[in-house]
Amino acid sequence: MTEPGSAQPDPRQPDPAQSDPRQLGPAQSDSWRPGPAQQGPGQSGTAQPGPGQPGAWPSGPGGLPVRPGATPYGEAGAARRLSPRVLLIDPIRMLPTLLLPLAGVLVAGGFSPASFGWAALGVGGSVVYAVVRWATFTYRVSGDRLELTRALISRSVRTIPLERVRGIDITTPPLHRLLRLAVLKLDTGAGGGEQEGELDALTVEEAESLRAVLLARRSVTPRPRPEGSAAAEGTAVDAPAQDGVARDGIALDGASKDGTPRDGAISARGAAAGRTSGHHDERIIGRVPRSWLRYGPLSGAYLLTPFALIAGAVGLVFQVGGELRVDARKARAVFTWVEGHPALLVAGVVLLILAMPVVGGIMYAVFNWDFTLRTRDGYLVAERGLVTRRAVSLERRRIRGYELVDGLIERRFKVVRLWAVVTGLGDSETRGQLLPVTPRTYAVDVASDAIGPFATPLRPHPSQARRRRLFRAVTPWLVVAAAMFLLGWEVAASAALVLALLGIPLGLDRYRSLGHAYDGTRLSVRNGSLRRGQAVVERRAIVGWTLRQTVFQRMSGVLTVVAGVGAGTGGYPAVDTGEAQGVEFAAEVTPDWIGPFLASPNR
Amino acid sequence: MSRRAIALWLIESLIGFAIFFGGALLLAFWIGRSDWAVLPGWLSDHAWLLPLVVGVVMAPLVIIEPLWRYAVHRWELSGDVVYARSGWLSREWVFVPVSRIQTVDKAQGWFERALRLATVEIRTASHAGSSTIKGLDYDVAAGFAEELARRAQELRDDAT
Repeated sequence: MTEPGSAQPDPRQPDPAQSDPRQLGPAQSDSWRPGPAQQGPGQSGTAQPGPGQPGAWPSGPGGLPVRPGATPYGEAGAARRLSPRVLLIDPIRMLPTLLLPLAGVLVAGGFSPASFGWAALGVGGSVVYAVVRWATFTYRVSGDRLELTRALISRSVRTIPLERVRGIDITTPPLHRLLRLAVLKLDTGAGGGEQEGELDALTVEEAESLRAVLLARRSVTPRPRPEGSAAAEGTAVDAPAQDGVARDGIALDGASKDGTPRDGAISARGAAAGRTSGHHDERIIGRVPRSWLRYGPLSGAYLLTPFALIAGAVGLVFQVGGELRVDARKARAVFTWVEGHPALLVAGVVLLILAMPVVGGIMYAVFNWDFTLRTRDGYLVAERGLVTRRAVSLERRRIRGYELVDGLIERRFKVVRLWAVVTGLGDSETRGQLLPVTPRTYAVDVASDAIGPFATPLRPHPSQARRRRLFRAVTPWLVVAAAMFLLGWEVAASAALVLALLGIPLGLDRYRSLGHAYDGTRLSVRNGSLRRGQAVVERRAIVGWTLRQTVFQRMSGVLTVVAGVGAGTGGYPAVDTGEAQGVEFAAEVTPDWIGPFLASPNR
Repeated sequence: MSRRAIALWLIESLIGFAIFFGGALLLAFWIGRSDWAVLPGWLSDHAWLLPLVVGVVMAPLVIIEPLWRYAVHRWELSGDVVYARSGWLSREWVFVPVSRIQTVDKAQGWFERALRLATVEIRTASHAGSSTIKGLDYDVAAGFAEELARRAQELRDDAT
């Protein structure tokens, strides 16, 4: 590693508020850094004004540096509090839970001064509770750990090793947005909410700088380079060394440094790419134009929102119903009234069905507004949302591949959704999303740019697989139809027959989806019809193989090969490959694992 | 596999048989007692056939399954890859390279303890790359788990 910090002048004017790394000599070292090779002026931008540099920054009353934008999380970083502005949000957030008890007190006690007093006490109590909770919660970055200290009743310290942080999720709900606050969530891959850290709420600037610090710290730890890893991995390991530098305003000719040997795809998308902004080593990989929001309803996402809304309303009516004296009898009366007006009922249902795509589209647009995917310092950051803006950072080093998903209707319009396959990512359905519904060519470009290209055509599976797909799509319905017919339910029987007929194109389509391929770095498998998914996974992510063969598969001479991957769903199956074909596929990807057993008599 | 594994599988299949047969008996009893109009008459009249069929079909399997499993189940460690084959009607082959192993567990249930058998569970970051090898002789399992753990530590590769 060279020392670009002192050698390279900054082509852009560094933000004056930023700490200038050139002030800090290489003499200042942080003990958490594992090796001298990693030291350089680059990372010292994240350092606290320590003993090595007395009085470089003036300190605020809390011993905190007052310089805005500086990153005051040093080796023994001072404990910090959440933004006090969150106190304005907390009571509002508690209001719904307080509303019913308050109403109860007021109703039960009559509108007497005493009951008003009690109510005031309740409100005051909740405010005091919020203040005390705020005052007793601190966080600090200490060495290579983040410590969250809660001292409300009993003192509890949650320590999160930065090494474990796999992604950072910054969300700004509407209220937070008004007050320029953000919620920062740490994904530690521990699974479940218990182990994950949440800071609610920081100022937006603080959240950004804390994210930079957390991500820089954790990416310094070098890892043994796994065998067979591609060039992309090499650059990814080197990339963190540049992080600190870039963050502090020394530009390192952006795009070429962040581990993308795939510049063809970048230039193909011209204007959006190559744009760097601010003081980050940042590049926008993809930005979804507003006109593409119209593809949203095709995915089927949020289509059920009208029903969910109605269910919510009914639930609310019953919840509040106790107070308003709505009971089962009245509800039944309403139902009988509706039964008496079938036209109204039909109109309602039609309205609801018409509302499905509209409301679904609106919800989709609200959640996926201005979806932007960018790289920043070895991270992929996906930002989206109209009301609540959400930014999810995924560490590139942990990304093992991607998944392209399209449904039946989406395929007609040639649009797909894109997910990243990330090791140890909790809630990967929402966090791993790299693109909402976008045209396939665009999504493939973005995936190639952000993760890696995969152009090898998929190998089809043998014809027995088609027979099996057809059989499995048709027979169950035929059996149901036969049973219904025997029981004398003609209507149900004919419905099942129709479904069985529909099973023919479905089975054929399922067969057409099947495929697998390997291009030397990544393997890919595809299956499904109503929801077709193509996974592209790096070879080095594979932790094992499972070959499965049911009795029926053995009779057809096919088997299912599952590539075990410590990321995403855990296993990616190539369904119903030919017996030899499947074993060859596994042996092709990892010859040194499978090879010996092909020769062994135990197969 | 240890030969005693046959006994273990026999016990397990007996338990499975008991559950299925009991379930069928209960179902037949319930169908016979209820006069649910939806069911055609011939079904409730012949409900006693159900446990009979279940018994006749499953009883031979109780004996066949353990023997068949014994013929199928294999495991070996060579070239730092664990290979395990299991199943009887359906088969499963698992390949786990030692370098990707995260934990190696050795477990013993009641019956296994009585039969001096043990199960070695090999865990990786993925369920599809994890393997459970059942019915090993206790000493063999202990040695195997030990060796795997040692080798895994030497070869640990943190790619995932």
